[in-house]
Amino acid sequence: MTTFFGIIVVTLLVSILTGLIRVHRGPRPADRMMAAQLVGSAAVAILLILSRAMDMPALLDVAVVFALLAAVAVVGFVVLASRKVS
Amino acid sequence: MTDPFLILDLLLAGAVIALAVATLTVRDLFAAIVLFIVLGLLSALAWVRLSAPDVALAEAAIGTGVTGALLLKTLHHLRYVAGTLGEQTAHGVTPVTPVPMSVIWANAAFCGLITLGLAIAFLDAPLGGPGFDALVADAIPASGVDHGVTAVLLNFRSYDTLMEVVVLLAAVIAVWQIERGLSEAPSPDLSVIWQGFARLTLPAIVVVGTYLLWKGSEAPGGAFQGGAVLAAVGILLLLSRLYVPRPAHRALARWGFVLGTGVFAGVALLVTGGGRVTFEYPPEHAKTLILLIEGLVTVSIAVTLAALFHGREPVAVRAKEARHDA
Repeated sequence: MTTFFGIIVVTLLVSILTGLIRVHRGPRPADRMMAAQLVGSAAVAILLILSRAMDMPALLDVAVVFALLAAVAVVGFVVLASRKVS
Repeated sequence: MTDPFLILDLLLAGAVIALAVATLTVRDLFAAIVLFIVLGLLSALAWVRLSAPDVALAEAAIGTGVTGALLLKTLHHLRYVAGTLGEQTAHGVTPVTPVPMSVIWANAAFCGLITLGLAIAFLDAPLGGPGFDALVADAIPASGVDHGVTAVLLNFRSYDTLMEVVVLLAAVIAVWQIERGLSEAPSPDLSVIWQGFARLTLPAIVVVGTYLLWKGSEAPGGAFQGGAVLAAVGILLLLSRLYVPRPAHRALARWGFVLGTGVFAGVALLVTGGGRVTFEYPPEHAKTLILLIEGLVTVSIAVTLAALFHGREPVAVRAKEARHDA
């Protein structure tokens, strides 16, 4: 079972690394932010699986904090970026 | 068959280093901020793999969440416009002057020295030693809490923790000295989606922040993590302009800033005497005192971080000295 978890986690990390290309290349700010959100969702999934695989229930709290604060980043982006050149 | 977790660790370590390089070298400031947020995310995963959930939680709450929002706000404040110097001048913004190469090399040299020092310390450390785990485990019954990290932070080395709270206080004092004025920018149109979003997330953030604070006595969590999550409420209220800072609110905000530091230092001094030194809580009251300090420090951290996000003292300034972006 642990090996199975390991393979899933590696797959998720590879998907994060692929998403990073879009974060780095853009070109628009929205592309970067949306890619970062995708990365955040995958990181939450990794944390959920690791909490089982590494037997650390505290990781669920880290996942919750990630999920909540990712929303803050999006709101900040929408508000601050839309007023950028006013 | 190779252990998939070894592949995971190698990929993660490589990705963290690559992201750090990308964050430093990318030309676009917005891209640098997003890369920094993702760097914090992957660092948190790396801390998890190092079996340090406390650090991962702090990195998730402060490193990724609040710092990301602060950096975005700073970029907005700079009124940064992508493009050449000519295009930037056409938009009426201050052109971004490049940092001199000498400054970059000096910074790189300092960073290199720190890395060298860390490497020496790492190589000198005893391999597979027990560390301080046993010492902390022995002393936990006297600390008043059940979680090692909280016992160290709030009891065994509370002087350091007090200084960390003071750093935040000093930061907000400095910001209020530098930046003043009421922001009168038009409210962005967030109405319909925002209301549903706020109804769902704001209560959830309050519950999670309080839960992290409460949980700190027996599991990863505590004042800094809880405070950072609660600060997100303030950040969202400021962003959506559901709350607009007014000059009359300054007195309350000031009390909020000093509350944590004041109570922390006050308790430390009040327990002194009768054979006890400063910061030596009587064991029978230790849990109550630690929870009292943590609760009020959480409030201070949340208020201070939200005020730092707002980034200026809300006073009415004369039209002549009004901010260009007010």
